[in-house]
Amino acid sequence: MGRVDFNDVKHETRTFAGVTVPVSVVPRFKRQAYPTRFLFSLKSLVDGMRLTFGYLVRPSTVVTRQYPENRATLKFPERYRASLKFKFDENGYQSCNGCGSCERACPNGSIILETRKGATGKNEIERYIWRMDSCVLCNACVEACSFGSLEMSHDFENAVYDRRLLVYTLNRYAGPTANVLLKEENLEAREAMMTKIDAYGGQVPMNGYALPTVAALGTPREKAATDGKGEAS
Amino acid sequence: MTVRVRTLDELLTPPAAGSSALSTQEYFVNMGPQHPIAHGSLRLVLRLDGETVKEVIPVPGFVHRGIEKMCEKLNPRQIIHLTDRLDYLSAVMNNWGVAKAVEKAANIETNGRIETIRTLMSELQRIQSHMLWWGVLGMDLGAYTAFLYAFRDREIISELFEETIGARLTMNYVRPGGVMFDILPDFQEKVKKLLKYLGPIIDEYDTLLSGNVILQERLRNVGVLDGKKAVALGCTGPVLRASGVPLDLRKLTPYGRYGDVEFNVAVGSKGDCWDRYYTRMEEIRQSMRIIEQLIDSIPEGPVNVLRASARISIPEGTYYDQIETARGVLGVMLVSDGKSPSPYRVHFRSPNFNNLWAVTALAPGWRIADIITIQSSLDLVIPDIDR
Amino acid sequence: MTATSLTYFAIAAAQGAFKNVTVSERTAQAFADGSWILAIVYIVVALGGLAALVTLSGLVLIYVERKLAAHFQCRLGPMRVGWHGIFQTVADAVKLLLKEDVIPEKADKAMHLLAPFLSMMATVMVLGVLPYSPILQITDINIGVLFVTAVSGFGVMGILLGGWSSNNKWSMVGAMRAGAQIISYEISATLALLVVVLFSGSLSLAEIVQSQDAGWWIWRANGVGFVSFIIFVIAVTAEINRTPFDIPEGESELAAGFHTEYSGLRFSFFFLAEFINMFVVSGMTATLFLGGWMPFHIGAWAGFNGFMDLIPPVLWFTGKTSVVIFLIMWFRWTFPRLRVDQLMYLEWKVLLPIGFVNLFAAAVVVLYNLYPFPILVP
Repeated sequence: MGRVDFNDVKHETRTFAGVTVPVSVVPRFKRQAYPTRFLFSLKSLVDGMRLTFGYLVRPSTVVTRQYPENRATLKFPERYRASLKFKFDENGYQSCNGCGSCERACPNGSIILETRKGATGKNEIERYIWRMDSCVLCNACVEACSFGSLEMSHDFENAVYDRRLLVYTLNRYAGPTANVLLKEENLEAREAMMTKIDAYGGQVPMNGYALPTVAALGTPREKAATDGKGEAS
Repeated sequence: MTVRVRTLDELLTPPAAGSSALSTQEYFVNMGPQHPIAHGSLRLVLRLDGETVKEVIPVPGFVHRGIEKMCEKLNPRQIIHLTDRLDYLSAVMNNWGVAKAVEKAANIETNGRIETIRTLMSELQRIQSHMLWWGVLGMDLGAYTAFLYAFRDREIISELFEETIGARLTMNYVRPGGVMFDILPDFQEKVKKLLKYLGPIIDEYDTLLSGNVILQERLRNVGVLDGKKAVALGCTGPVLRASGVPLDLRKLTPYGRYGDVEFNVAVGSKGDCWDRYYTRMEEIRQSMRIIEQLIDSIPEGPVNVLRASARISIPEGTYYDQIETARGVLGVMLVSDGKSPSPYRVHFRSPNFNNLWAVTALAPGWRIADIITIQSSLDLVIPDIDR
Repeated sequence: MTATSLTYFAIAAAQGAFKNVTVSERTAQAFADGSWILAIVYIVVALGGLAALVTLSGLVLIYVERKLAAHFQCRLGPMRVGWHGIFQTVADAVKLLLKEDVIPEKADKAMHLLAPFLSMMATVMVLGVLPYSPILQITDINIGVLFVTAVSGFGVMGILLGGWSSNNKWSMVGAMRAGAQIISYEISATLALLVVVLFSGSLSLAEIVQSQDAGWWIWRANGVGFVSFIIFVIAVTAEINRTPFDIPEGESELAAGFHTEYSGLRFSFFFLAEFINMFVVSGMTATLFLGGWMPFHIGAWAGFNGFMDLIPPVLWFTGKTSVVIFLIMWFRWTFPRLRVDQLMYLEWKVLLPIGFVNLFAAAVVVLYNLYPFPILVP
């Protein structure tokens, strides 16, 4: 093709820095008489055009996937990382006990854990805050968690108009782990141990909560509660 | 040897116009930081005489994020995720570079399975990276179709990464002491299928672009970088090898499983853009050879010899290790005070930073269009330059 | 349908429809007859038709280009606006119209505003002399070929002016490249075109089409015609700044070349002019080498020829033009772009010598009647 014979790769051995290195010397341009060169040049152009034409006439080679029309059939690999999620068991109980290993493993402080002393005297989670706006989805938290409380979910459509909306509260209730809860037979007593938290909270995923650099968004009730905190102040 | 250092202001002083009415004047043009050719925010100041380039002054620093400084606050495991963002096209190799340095410093022994998976992933990524470069070179030279063909085929490898690692670009895969995930049961089969597909595809690339007389004329004898100059500039990777210097760490100081496999180092003979172009095409084929040899011999074993929560303590001292990424030698220097879990100082010797300066040596005397060719043939990734 | 009836149709078509009557002739006739209203109607129809042609062919060509490009590249292209994105160009046109028209502060304002119109004007003027069918031609100038060459050369003024007046170095480089390129390739295009003029013995486009009654010049001119066809296609591709000769606006080199500083409506004028130019040069190629609106005839096959005559001449013209347009688009989506010095090399050292030799050979062929193949006159 053209003036280069692509099969003309020379295999040699060279000594470099005391090591014998087998090398492939890449092909270069051959000397060609003018008419031959001209014809070969023309042929190379025609070859390229034939190749593209081949794709034009074969609609089966189209690889476009039409998102969002194909939303229903969209499949993600099991390990695909798009956002962080809490794992809940069939009762909706979490296994996170607020040990903080994820918080320590996080390279950029995207996880903020707030714990409280529970009814049993044990540490339990009050609020698990995940800042998607600074998260790089490196999977370090999931890896670090020795209780399997976290997982990476496939929810990738996270675009919002305000980056404050990217601060999520992952837990659905403040309270002990599933293990502790299941020991308690009385359902009402169980409920008493848990404080409901709106996990994603609609337009206000932080539930009006303020963080050192993220001001509260949200309802007047929450605003009053968090007045004086956050960047807005 | 004395080096005259000039400030940017000094460099940019416009020369005086000639006295005669017909005399021409040199002029300066900014190529970048916002320019279709700049594959990131890189500013090249061109001193031009008409179409002819007199001088190129690279002004990097637009994507400087202070990664080295950030590393001083992070533990070795956390540093890895920042290296994804150096040369984002060789994320796995960058990860491995840090992991290798940390393992050397902390005396961590890995097993055969880990090393094989790392090698496989690195070579897959090398193919992927070179494919993207091929497409981008085509696009820079006006062959837009090549770009999309490259992306179409690169997608297959990306999906393979997505399945195994869960991410496509910033993978954060190699950890000190192992890798993050084991390969899936159908990984080997898929890779074999991929290799079977890639063979004819690379030949197709040769038909579409390499064989095309226009491309050959655009690349032939343009920007000749001889071996001595390349070494003096500190170029590594395909840029250096195209100048005929077979410096490939995979051969010189075999790491991973590179010692066990047979492959050739692709080298050029002249050091022009064509050699840099075809060296990479040949490297794709050699990488395929490596994968072919390794894919059926993955030993059994755990994929991480450390527990995820194990503390990695680096003894006091200075450690350096290097790795061959898709663009050249990535050197990782760690200084540890032996007390804190994070290193005292981290320095990356990034391949693109040194390769960038080749443009200053290559471009003068060529046309504006050749700057594009030269820059494409150097395969620069801007975040790796600025870090 | 029998062969007889087909022949009948053929004869009818040959006698009636194939007689050249241009719109300007009709207008003149109407004036002479004293029916002013009819004359004005003709003028309005002609102008309206031109405007419609410019808009429609622009919209269609841009859509076709995008779809073709997509399928060359294993993509789908526009799919959202309308069925298979058929109204995508309309949406884009509306977007361009609504955009702010930015004029750089240091630009030469008058020239900056004028340039897109100059570029557009040159293109539209050529459309007036193209014979779309025997009865569809605005005006037939007896020096039509000369007119086309002269006017299309005028388009470079708009590009030069646009690049210069923007007061931007990239635009300036692009404009200078365009000037050098278009003027150089004009020579080769003219040399190739002269071959046809030699064979047909006329400079009028309508007469050139008529002269291809017995066969199109691309093959009836015995090789020289084919060579000049290839030279012409290459030269006009360069003249309209398309890949592989798109160096005046090569987006990866000069940002956007001469129209870097243009936006909104004015940018769309340049953009549209480029696509109409493609239509114009393809139409010219079809007229000169592929028989214009002449149907495809094979020697004495009366039935076949009669069937071919049934297809309206406008469709023949459109079809042939489309083939050339497809060829030019095919180039674009396959080849990389040349460098500026290689471009000049191709013109002055390859195409020009071949063009001269070819013209000389054509002269010899015409002068000594050296037609190896018999010419079948129906």
